[in-house]
Amino acid sequence: MEDFELLRNVTIGQYIPTGSAVHRMDPRAKITAAFFLIFAISFTQSLVANFIMLLAIILIARVAKIEFKYLLRGFLLGLPILIFIFVTQFLFMGRTEPAGHIFFQAGWFRITQRSLSIIMLSGLRLLSFVFLTSLITMTATTTELTHGMERLLHPFRRFGVPSHELALIMMIALRFVPTLAEEMENIMKAQASRGADLGTKRIWRPDRAARAYLPLIVPLFLTAFRRAEDLVYAMEARGYVGGEGRTNFIQLKSSWADYVIVIISFAIMVFMLFFTWPSTFQFLQNLGFFT
Amino acid sequence: MTSIVNEPIIRVENLHFSYEIERDQPIKALNGVDLQVRQGEYLVILGHNGSGKSTLAKHLNGLLAPTQGDVWVNGWNTRDQAHIRDIRATVGMVFQSPDNQIVATIVEEDVAFGPENMGLPHDEIVRRVDWALEKVHMTPYRLRAPHLLSGGQKQRVSIAGMLAMRPKVLVLDESTAMLDPVGRREVLEIARTLNRDEGVTIIAITHFMEEAIHAHRLVIMAQGQIQLQGPPREVFAQVQRLRELKMDVPPITRLSLALNQQHPDFPADALTVEELVQAVLERTHAQAPAPIMPPPAPLPPPGKTIIQYEDVGRFYMRDTPLQVKAIENVNLHVQQGEILGIIGHTGSGKSTIIQHANALLRPHEGQVLVFDKSTRDKNLDIREIRRRVGMAFQQPELQLFERFVGDDVAYGPRNLELSREEIRERVREAMNALGLDFETFKDRMTFSLSGGEKRRVALAGIMALKPQVLVLDEPTAGLDPYGRQQLLDLILSWRDLGLTLVMVSHNMENLADLADRLYVIANGTTLMNGTPSEIFSKVDTLQKEGLNAPVVTLAMQALVKAGVLPADATRIYTVQEAAQLIGGIL
Repeated sequence: MEDFELLRNVTIGQYIPTGSAVHRMDPRAKITAAFFLIFAISFTQSLVANFIMLLAIILIARVAKIEFKYLLRGFLLGLPILIFIFVTQFLFMGRTEPAGHIFFQAGWFRITQRSLSIIMLSGLRLLSFVFLTSLITMTATTTELTHGMERLLHPFRRFGVPSHELALIMMIALRFVPTLAEEMENIMKAQASRGADLGTKRIWRPDRAARAYLPLIVPLFLTAFRRAEDLVYAMEARGYVGGEGRTNFIQLKSSWADYVIVIISFAIMVFMLFFTWPSTFQFLQNLGFFT
Repeated sequence: MTSIVNEPIIRVENLHFSYEIERDQPIKALNGVDLQVRQGEYLVILGHNGSGKSTLAKHLNGLLAPTQGDVWVNGWNTRDQAHIRDIRATVGMVFQSPDNQIVATIVEEDVAFGPENMGLPHDEIVRRVDWALEKVHMTPYRLRAPHLLSGGQKQRVSIAGMLAMRPKVLVLDESTAMLDPVGRREVLEIARTLNRDEGVTIIAITHFMEEAIHAHRLVIMAQGQIQLQGPPREVFAQVQRLRELKMDVPPITRLSLALNQQHPDFPADALTVEELVQAVLERTHAQAPAPIMPPPAPLPPPGKTIIQYEDVGRFYMRDTPLQVKAIENVNLHVQQGEILGIIGHTGSGKSTIIQHANALLRPHEGQVLVFDKSTRDKNLDIREIRRRVGMAFQQPELQLFERFVGDDVAYGPRNLELSREEIRERVREAMNALGLDFETFKDRMTFSLSGGEKRRVALAGIMALKPQVLVLDEPTAGLDPYGRQQLLDLILSWRDLGLTLVMVSHNMENLADLADRLYVIANGTTLMNGTPSEIFSKVDTLQKEGLNAPVVTLAMQALVKAGVLPADATRIYTVQEAAQLIGGIL
């Protein structure tokens, strides 16, 4: 709160132009490949497999020339949630998943082999998800992503998927994130100048806490509505009457490399899902631990 | 100059329009407007806030439909929904807020938005985008994200977005109101070039008189009607009528008029610096007595220094890949009881600088002493500093949040945890200081007020803190000339309440009349400081930094260069002093 710089800690959605091969990929291929990888991470039950996936993602970051500390920064933003999940799982998972070797027990609290591996698994998965999503937004501009999504969803139009509208909504939302963040900074500064205690004093009663934020929320919403109204006029003035009959300025081009990458990531997914992974315990034993 | 075709491209016939905010309580915005705009014309519509000029604009491309009467564009009635795309492609419109009309996250894609809507083939869109960006000189920025552009650049992108639809008419609906002088000049030059070289009909809506002098025709609106129209020279000659309509006359015309009153053969209707200088040079004679320069205004006696910046520096986005130095080596002081002006264009770092004055920002380098306490001090009582140094941001009315005016003004005093009676008393005083009668206004709904009233309520909210120093960032931005003058008069009167004022502006004329001392900010640092006349006489330096001296100073400079006035005449910046000095050599 000290610095009023709201944009500083937001890594998701921040493009870092290093001009790497990953950057140059067709956004459609990038999204599809990421989708396969996320699918693989989500459904592999093996710790080993997830660990390998995490290493693979860090390797992709190396290829994309993204410094590891920027990946971590996005991770720090979600840290409170991660800690919360970790602590609750640590406390209760032992009870609900009593299988396997029991490492520790005190009253109802238990740490079992199974619970431990679930906790580690979810930790690894979340880490991979955060890294992968930040990696996508760091290597693809928001417009590339929007257009990629729009084209990928286009075939589903006939099933009622409003691909154009979704893409437009996403584009406008992204367009106004920095504007509204700046607006929020200004409002915070202005109310602080009128003696508002923003974040310096903890308020425990929820009703008072909510009231304390009204001076920020109300002006923010009002300006957002005003901007929306202006934007409607501006879009109408430029002849926007919906997606019908529109043409596209941006044309996406894929090269053979894009196809190769999509096929490889598909193969990885299949491999991760159907390979019989050794249990972690066994795996570590094979590596010479616990002998 | 492209010739003006006689057949009108836009015909407005007996146009009436009412807003209905609450049911059965229509508010008349337009009250019988008749207007014809010819192809190739450059038309400027002037009027104070609430005169109906923007409502008229929104009728010109069918964004609003008339309550009564008709608007015809290129032969199509704007009520005819079948031709709405044609109408919108014929009449392009650029609005006031630079931020709220850009749709895409990349400049070139935004420019393509209109042509995409028209369903043009890809190659044609590319051609038009290239052409339009070139026309507004934004080609180097085509891959930028819009939020990283200046206000003027954003408006140029919006103009390009319209041009790409190849409109015959371009309506600029107060498109320069939120821009600094550099941005305004950029937009104006483009509008003039488009009119001259491409034959685009321009309809510019503004309340800046300077923007009107190059028009073919001026239309002055008030109370939803056209009050006056004609070529700029004829319209500005009707000074009395303009004053009644709460309109201003450009300073050069005022000077010309003042000289005409002293010397009846002097033209009363000069519009530009060049015309005025020409007229003076034709009438000076060799035997003219040496001009008598008025003595320079003395610096006010130095008061106690209450805010002191020492080599202040600060980074933006520190410790990220985007880190940049926002300001550095800023040295500045505020003296008790003075009115200090701070000038700089958008992006010069002036906002960052003033936000150090009440510890909203704290220096990364150097220090800021506020009432002898460093804001870097960990034990600083920040609330005390913020109470003593009031700060009004640009468009402070955007920060209003309470339903009732009185409650909003009371927000600050309530944060100070004062007694009920004390809060009430402060609210009353603060509202009165802004010319808002306490009994009438305290229970009014905040959001039903006019723009000017909201601005006053917001400023009252800061006055209610009883600050000793008040920092005002562009307090008159977006107000019309009449509202501007009224507010400035009020602010000036607070000096008698013992208030020290720091005014930030890019409007030279505003600061010239008010400030005792000025600081010029450029490239994140304090470039120079001194009395207004000392600062303004350095015209060349100011112009290099994208700032303009008051237009009177420009005229004086031209006369100095022509050799009819002594070199130090460039320190004259008021119409009155200039009229006296020039009058002496005619």
